[in-house]
Amino acid sequence: MIQTNHLRGLIRHFLLTLQLNFRSKQAIAYGYLMPVIFLLAFGSIFQSDTPPLWHQMGQLLTISILGGACFGLPTALVAERERGVWRRYRLLPVSIGGLVAGTLLARLIIIALALVLQIGLARAIYGTPFPVNPVQAAVAFLVVAFAFLGLGLLVTALANDVPAVQALGQCIFLPMIMIGGVGVPLAVLPLWVQRVAGFMPGRYAVEVLQHSVSDPHGLRDAGFGLVALLVIGMAAGVAGISLFRWDTARHIGRAARTGIMLALISWAAVGVVALSTGQLKPVLPANTAWETITEAQIGQITYGNLPGDNELVTRLAPPFRTQAVPAHLAEFVANLHAWKPGHLENVGQSVRNLVYVATIADVSEDSHEGEIARAVYNELLASFDHDDLRRALAWVVLNPDEGAVINLVPELGLFRRPPKPVIRNRNPLFAQKFLGRLQGKLSD
Amino acid sequence: METCIDVVGMTKRYGALEAVRDVSFSVAAGEIFGLLGPNGAGKTTTIECILGLRQTDAGAITIGGIDAISHPEQAKERVGAQLQAATLQDKITPREALGFYASFYRQPARIEDLIERFGLREKADAPFISLSGGQKQRLFLALAFVNNPSLVVLDEPTAGLDPQSRRELHRIIRELRAAGRTVLVSTHHIEEAEALCDRIGIMDGGCLVAVASPAELIARAKAPSHVTVKTAHAIDPVALRALVGVVDVQPLDNGWNLGTTEVRQTVVELMRLLETSRNDLLDLQIFRPTLEDVFIELTGRKWARAVEEVQS
Repeated sequence: MIQTNHLRGLIRHFLLTLQLNFRSKQAIAYGYLMPVIFLLAFGSIFQSDTPPLWHQMGQLLTISILGGACFGLPTALVAERERGVWRRYRLLPVSIGGLVAGTLLARLIIIALALVLQIGLARAIYGTPFPVNPVQAAVAFLVVAFAFLGLGLLVTALANDVPAVQALGQCIFLPMIMIGGVGVPLAVLPLWVQRVAGFMPGRYAVEVLQHSVSDPHGLRDAGFGLVALLVIGMAAGVAGISLFRWDTARHIGRAARTGIMLALISWAAVGVVALSTGQLKPVLPANTAWETITEAQIGQITYGNLPGDNELVTRLAPPFRTQAVPAHLAEFVANLHAWKPGHLENVGQSVRNLVYVATIADVSEDSHEGEIARAVYNELLASFDHDDLRRALAWVVLNPDEGAVINLVPELGLFRRPPKPVIRNRNPLFAQKFLGRLQGKLSD
Repeated sequence: METCIDVVGMTKRYGALEAVRDVSFSVAAGEIFGLLGPNGAGKTTTIECILGLRQTDAGAITIGGIDAISHPEQAKERVGAQLQAATLQDKITPREALGFYASFYRQPARIEDLIERFGLREKADAPFISLSGGQKQRLFLALAFVNNPSLVVLDEPTAGLDPQSRRELHRIIRELRAAGRTVLVSTHHIEEAEALCDRIGIMDGGCLVAVASPAELIARAKAPSHVTVKTAHAIDPVALRALVGVVDVQPLDNGWNLGTTEVRQTVVELMRLLETSRNDLLDLQIFRPTLEDVFIELTGRKWARAVEEVQS
């Protein structure tokens, strides 16, 4: 049982850690000025969104937590260790674990204040709404902070000095910023990179925080992300605590490799489970431009210059004579109907993706290219509202470079991978043929 | 006399390196005990094992009757320490630091008393980074007293201090003894150990090679004392060699250097010789063996060379 005087000392250590942090100009600049700069940078890009910055808060908050936990915490701890502060702590009649816990708690508060500052300033400057569910936002913050503070502890244990903290911190920070969905949005990254991001905690941190900020259902759909972060944080935290060094002279040698392996295994395990359970749904741009397509724009589309249905390019088979699908296409049609990229929440991208299938078969010169195109058209008709489909197809015709591009669909039995630019260029032709038929301007 | 520290057969290894080998010694309550040796002799490792900063590979350590290895936290309640290479955060003030460290102990000292006693009043609320070297050292020493310890351990406390600060620190350490505290101090300054300590343990290469009071250690020295003498007229060296106790005679400018095992009798006979030969004495100095001589005898190395070897 903890003694009263020990508890008094630990509380004092926690308060002292906070006090000393707020006396340091560098700590203030890094802990609070940088998050404000990030806010302004994001704000300058997304202030015209509706609502402004609303859909980027997950990224913004994740960057702040990541910085505070994976740079701020280890930098402070390693600097103190280098000065011998922790050697002196070791003389105290309490366990070092209690002092580490106090440091983590202080860091949690330092980071939380930075997030409150960001949310408050976002509201004041850009009118960004507050999180829809503050309690769930707090839970999301605690879980994300748990994961990243665990990583921060591991960095603390591994780094021999402050420059090493910067190097190790960047190894975590940069991949998550660039390809982990934290800095560069997942929606603009290729699908394979999005899958890679599933092996990093940053993707789940952004998802969880974004759900807590803008999803009316809060964290209801963020269960996997929460568990993933807890697993990653637990693994890194256990490794970080077991390797914790109060003295720079104490070397950890081979144990360091074990710690790194434990942390990386947790990342890999989370990624594998996410992949195998379909958690890594493609994230597409929140672009809803297809909905803004007007009748006038649709009306401006002409169909006179399209290649014929029996020509080499954009071959389109006539409607199947009977209602039944030809036997040799039955499996393809069933797979197409279950194909997730063709049935996303975003109708525009779903339609675009289905048209890509016809285009890939066409460019690949598949022996059934015309029938595949017909099957795609049938799937479009069966899956979407008539008016939505008109606007979505028109959006594909008018904006060939928008949205994500798919050029490989082995799951549908098409194994060739045509170049993306070719796919982008040809896709509008099929969309145009489908749109023409849909409106009765082209006959089968 | 009551024993404050009892170290028996302590060994500490770092991989293949045996930093401390089978060290045993006891320190009585109220005693100033010095660990003397060149850098790298094992003093700091010995102290860190006693303080619980390092785990020993063998041996037992008892502090005030408490097994410091199996009950480190109980032992730490009784020990105050000042470490080498351990500073404080730049922005912490002496008052905050003393209050913070004191808060962990059952019987903390009064902070204002410590501030007064260690001359920190003027800088009590100034950030640590603004303190002078001497003020920092006084603060570190004050931190060793936040728990009213019965044992104070000081690891190279005067390293890097100017002569004035060093004298002040010596005064404080003597006051501790007067107040009945036990002090374990490590140093690589021979003069400091000789001037300050009731007993000294000489360490070299991780071993404790001798333990005794400075006077006893010097008395054990086999090296002769030296008497240098300068006179108005020349003296016959044959007459000098005939003096009682003289084992060696070496010429100096205007005088002689006499190695002797009987300083008093040699000096008395030298005075008689000068009187009978009507020679005037210009200068006479006596050099007794020092702890450095003891160290050379015990280790076969000169002190300076031992220090150089460690540094290289």
